[in-house]
Amino acid sequence: MNILKLVARNLFRKKGRFVFTLLGISIGMASFVALLSMGENMQSVVKAQAESLGASFMIMPENICIYNQMAIVTGETISESMEYKVFEDLTAVNDVTIIPHLTQKTSIKDKPSVVAGILPRETYAFKVWEMNEGVFFESDDQNAVVVGIDFAETRNLRVGETVTVKGEQLPVIGILAKTQGNDDMTMFAPLTVVQRLFNKDGYISYMSARVKDMSKIEAYEDAILKIANVQVATNDKLLESVLSIIGSVNSTLRLIAGVALIAAAFGIINTMMTAVYERRREIGILCALGGRAGTIFKVFLIESGVYGLLGGCVGVVAGYVVSVFAAPIINREGLDMLKGVSAEASIDIKLVLTAVIVSFVISILSGLYPALKASKLTPVEAVSYG
Amino acid sequence: MDKEYSIIKTEGLEKLYGKGAVKTHALKGVDIEIPTGAFTCITGPSGHGKSTLLNLIGGLDKPTAGKVFIGGVDITGLSNGKLAAIRASKIGFVFQFFNLLQNLTALENIQTAMMLNPAIKLTSKAQKEKAAELLELVGLLNKADAKPYELSGGQQQRVSIARALANNPDILLMDEPTGNLDTESEKEVLEHIFAVHKTGKTVIIVTHNDSLAKKAELLLEIRDGRCLNYTP
Repeated sequence: MNILKLVARNLFRKKGRFVFTLLGISIGMASFVALLSMGENMQSVVKAQAESLGASFMIMPENICIYNQMAIVTGETISESMEYKVFEDLTAVNDVTIIPHLTQKTSIKDKPSVVAGILPRETYAFKVWEMNEGVFFESDDQNAVVVGIDFAETRNLRVGETVTVKGEQLPVIGILAKTQGNDDMTMFAPLTVVQRLFNKDGYISYMSARVKDMSKIEAYEDAILKIANVQVATNDKLLESVLSIIGSVNSTLRLIAGVALIAAAFGIINTMMTAVYERRREIGILCALGGRAGTIFKVFLIESGVYGLLGGCVGVVAGYVVSVFAAPIINREGLDMLKGVSAEASIDIKLVLTAVIVSFVISILSGLYPALKASKLTPVEAVSYG
Repeated sequence: MDKEYSIIKTEGLEKLYGKGAVKTHALKGVDIEIPTGAFTCITGPSGHGKSTLLNLIGGLDKPTAGKVFIGGVDITGLSNGKLAAIRASKIGFVFQFFNLLQNLTALENIQTAMMLNPAIKLTSKAQKEKAAELLELVGLLNKADAKPYELSGGQQQRVSIARALANNPDILLMDEPTGNLDTESEKEVLEHIFAVHKTGKTVIIVTHNDSLAKKAELLLEIRDGRCLNYTP
């Protein structure tokens, strides 16, 4: 017989209570893991998406707000627009390759979709795309669409089918190869077609620019600003702005996770306090047999710690399972500004270890008061109880 | 019977329970001496201080005034930790309601007492062997793996006696050990108590059983918190 065996016997004697207390801490930890893992993942996904833009910097309407900047990164539509003429003016800047985008919202097969108007030849070269299936646009005014691979998959689209945009039927002539970015979830059509369909003749949403020499990027920015009233943001700057928003969302998620953990901690305190009151006689018996206050304290604290360790492990697994199921719902129903940010779950060893350690520490802290209460019982008070 | 010195001695032992206006004077200056190896019975009406005296002697409680000596050592001033060590090594308790740990087997109940004695560190195997020997002593080796609720009252009390002997204590304190048993079980338990006493242990029993009291080498009657009848 040793203390650990005694603890094990104590924990499993009331299986129902053990399971429900464990569920309490597990649910708390599951929320912690699910929310944090999704939050962390949003950041890494946004970084990956920003990288996939393939641009050195973005040229946006002058009055664009931070949320619209985020929409550019996440491949969503933006509410502001600027004249196509601005793009034509900026092509005069040497050593900078610029392509325009006109992004609009539509619905394909009852799913909200983004259609991007592009200059086919220039964009194909700029993005270094490859075709997975079918062909790319042959002219700048071809009435057709090319879709990203995930776009095609989620809408069960095949080359040769037609899609209806603003009442006009357009054939799907090609599916792009995987890009690992927003382009995978976007439908493309020539710029003039999108302008016509959405009554945006002469307008674009924003431009992507790539420079030959990154060390002269500030000079290029100055040159652009001299020509047009636009806002220029380097990819890193744009990413920084977007990540600051994601950061505040993450803080909220952490706060929610914290509340779940506090609730779980009180669950443990409640269980352990109940155990102390129910087991007063047992504590008295242990004292009568020579048990020291420290031993009693240890028994109750270890019991508490075991709840934390097991709850942490169960919670981590449950948290990842929840995040896998919750991610698509968040993607579909989430905040507008986060639409397009894939909140996929991925296993992060650092988060796993943090969760288990946090769970263990919280349980130990929750067990301190009940354990102290148990160890302070006088033997005669305890043994006379009941 | 060779009683060379008093293994237990009390001087002016007092115990006051309660606070403020509601106070109970459970013991009012008890002076006793119990020789080593004596078979002692403490009798008296319920609520007059018998169990309080037993608890004070056993170091389960601390007196309001007076002193308790165990083997010549004044235990009244000792820290809780040192008192626990004395309880673990020198004293074995047997209670009226057996007080076995319900989630442990008979064998494990005895092993727990060994685990709690800091003076002797036994391996799990040694614990099991010794606990089995003690169960054999009380005729319950075949019930080693039984949980307390699977045993009769008499059997539980015999396990309780085996547990009290786990650390080979000098003193056995028993609070109405047969008070909750039928006649047959009482007879069995008393036989084991007498057998244990014959091994040289000092046995002190709180009892209402007159026939048991008549067999005592030393009889103490506690009435209204005082030791009225002290017959060495």
